[in-house]
Amino acid sequence: MNKLPVALTRHDANKIARYTKRRKQFSAAFYALCVAIALLSVAILVVLLMSIGIEGQSRLSTDLLTRSHSELQPQRSGMWPAIVGSLLVCGTCGLLALPLGIGTAIFLEEFKPRNRWLLRLRSFVQLNVSNLAGVPSIVYGLLGLTMFVYMFNLFGQIQVNQSSGWELMGAKHLYQVLTLEPDHAVFIPQTNRNQNQITIDRPLDGLDQDWNPIAIDVWAPGTPQPKDPEVRRRTVAAGTTGGTVTDKAWYYFRLPLDRSFLAGGLTLGLVILPIIIIASQEALRSVPSSLREASLGLGATNWQTVRDVTFPAAVPGIMTGAILAMGRAIGEAAPILMVLGATISKESGPRHLMDNAVTMPVLIFNWAGRQQQEFKQLSAAAIIVLLVTLLILNSVAILIRHKIQQSQP
Amino acid sequence: MPLSSTTDTTPTDPQSQRGRTLIRIQNFNAWYGDFQALQDLTLDIPRHQVTAFIGPSGCGKSTLLKWINRMNDLTPGARAKGGISLLSDRPDEQTVDVDILDPNVDVVKLRRKIGIVFQKPNPFPKSIFDNVAFGPRLHLKTTKSELDELVEWALQKAAVWDEVKDRLQGPALGLSGGQQQRLCIARAIAMGPEVLLMDEPCSALDPASTLAIEDLMFELRSQYTIVVVTHNMQQASRCSDRTAFFFEGRLIESGETRKMFTNPDKNQTDDYVRGKFG
Repeated sequence: MNKLPVALTRHDANKIARYTKRRKQFSAAFYALCVAIALLSVAILVVLLMSIGIEGQSRLSTDLLTRSHSELQPQRSGMWPAIVGSLLVCGTCGLLALPLGIGTAIFLEEFKPRNRWLLRLRSFVQLNVSNLAGVPSIVYGLLGLTMFVYMFNLFGQIQVNQSSGWELMGAKHLYQVLTLEPDHAVFIPQTNRNQNQITIDRPLDGLDQDWNPIAIDVWAPGTPQPKDPEVRRRTVAAGTTGGTVTDKAWYYFRLPLDRSFLAGGLTLGLVILPIIIIASQEALRSVPSSLREASLGLGATNWQTVRDVTFPAAVPGIMTGAILAMGRAIGEAAPILMVLGATISKESGPRHLMDNAVTMPVLIFNWAGRQQQEFKQLSAAAIIVLLVTLLILNSVAILIRHKIQQSQP
Repeated sequence: MPLSSTTDTTPTDPQSQRGRTLIRIQNFNAWYGDFQALQDLTLDIPRHQVTAFIGPSGCGKSTLLKWINRMNDLTPGARAKGGISLLSDRPDEQTVDVDILDPNVDVVKLRRKIGIVFQKPNPFPKSIFDNVAFGPRLHLKTTKSELDELVEWALQKAAVWDEVKDRLQGPALGLSGGQQQRLCIARAIAMGPEVLLMDEPCSALDPASTLAIEDLMFELRSQYTIVVVTHNMQQASRCSDRTAFFFEGRLIESGETRKMFTNPDKNQTDDYVRGKFG
């Protein structure tokens, strides 16, 4: 029994030394290969950034940030509406996806149900989340189109500026009446929703063009007209008719959402929802179960455990996932093209909740496909702006994460 | 074989309660899935004493401990049959007898009465103060000064006050392993339990910290009923009043610790405490 196995007794020092040397060489070669691959990927990125930088740097100016797209004057075009549009769309997207995604992850990870039906619901949701993460974003665009833009036709077709929209939130319905002063109008709030026309025959209260209340005078034809332009501006010829107009406050809201930035944001929210759920689940799973046990062992309820222990411990991981997801949302073009359309000639960002919007990727897509050299340069400059925006968003998120980590010693 | 009462006096004085049964375990069976972890177990745990559960790995002693405050609810597939009742007689509590295994029992209330300390120290990644205040904040409505007083009291009881009093707002994870474990004991004491369950509380600690915890158990038994699971024979003999020996899911023998370690009734117990197996 004292005899060692043959493999351990054979002493061929040279052979073993050669073998060891070959192993070390192989290891060194593998290391070099890894470094080369890493450098290659960085080099590709550098080339990309440099070519964009060289092409776009001539157009990087405040004009680019403050002006809007102009079809005829590419040299004076800017992307202000797209910046505002992108931020609003992504904000909506985050407002939908973050609470929903984190909540779903907490349900899946922290509330292990004992009830058979809840267990089935849990595995059903889990299966769907895993599958949805792999669905191409254009498919989400189609989903957003039926779900948010048309809302399955549940609310009928959209009738803008019709009196059927009377109850719409944030919409003011008014009659617009021309005054004696050329090109000047006053407004009278609409009180009867079925009446589309108004005829002025007596003095009444109305609004001026800045929505300040004024008294509207009536001029009877045949008598001398007032001379003072101030008075003429609020004087209407008797018998003048006016039609309805609608003024939309920023909170103007109607259903279905149609091609509004809200619909775009909600669609993007669906795109990043599975990413956020999966990242949050990972973060919650990595919280040591000993902390969970400690909390429950002290008599905390499931909810108290999540609120005081598990969730705070998982916040850094959840934030990382959220940053990645928002980065994807801000750069996503396909579902936005489908939901909001490809219009880019907008003067400003969305003025109310139901307003259409341009986003940066859609604008870049449009500019990059044009023939004129100026637009090609513009698109390169816009890419730089998009990247910088992304960088700023990420740094803010990382800063918040850092703050949270420091606040829990 | 149930442990019988050693002293019988008036029920008002907490010290005189010593030895009366607090937790009664009757014909208890526990399973994990199809595997039966504990079989037909009957044991009484007396008040204000340290009861040690000993036995080789996998004998079911931790399982029993975790059923006493229903921590096994968290384990998928864990089932139990039989009875565990808490014969509490605190004057301020309305419920006297609690059937611990009743599915409708309020586990939140139960776990407040029966605190648990785990094998590895598991302080929350919060400040030392917040760790100890965690239980009181869950269960009691306190003012700031009452909470301060309670935290100091609990840390003093757990013999860690002198070491942490200058850094109560510092991170609990910055403490040494032994300090962390005493902090966990303070955290359990701070919600005013009757029973402290300890699942191998010293197995992750160095000898000096182990000694500190053992002294602490000895101190605390005047006010709490302590159940400790341990692999360490010396520890069981040093710091427990009663010992229960488990083997392969059965309770082999239980009784006074001195008797169990010197002259047990069963040969199997004798072999185990002498270190012949396990």
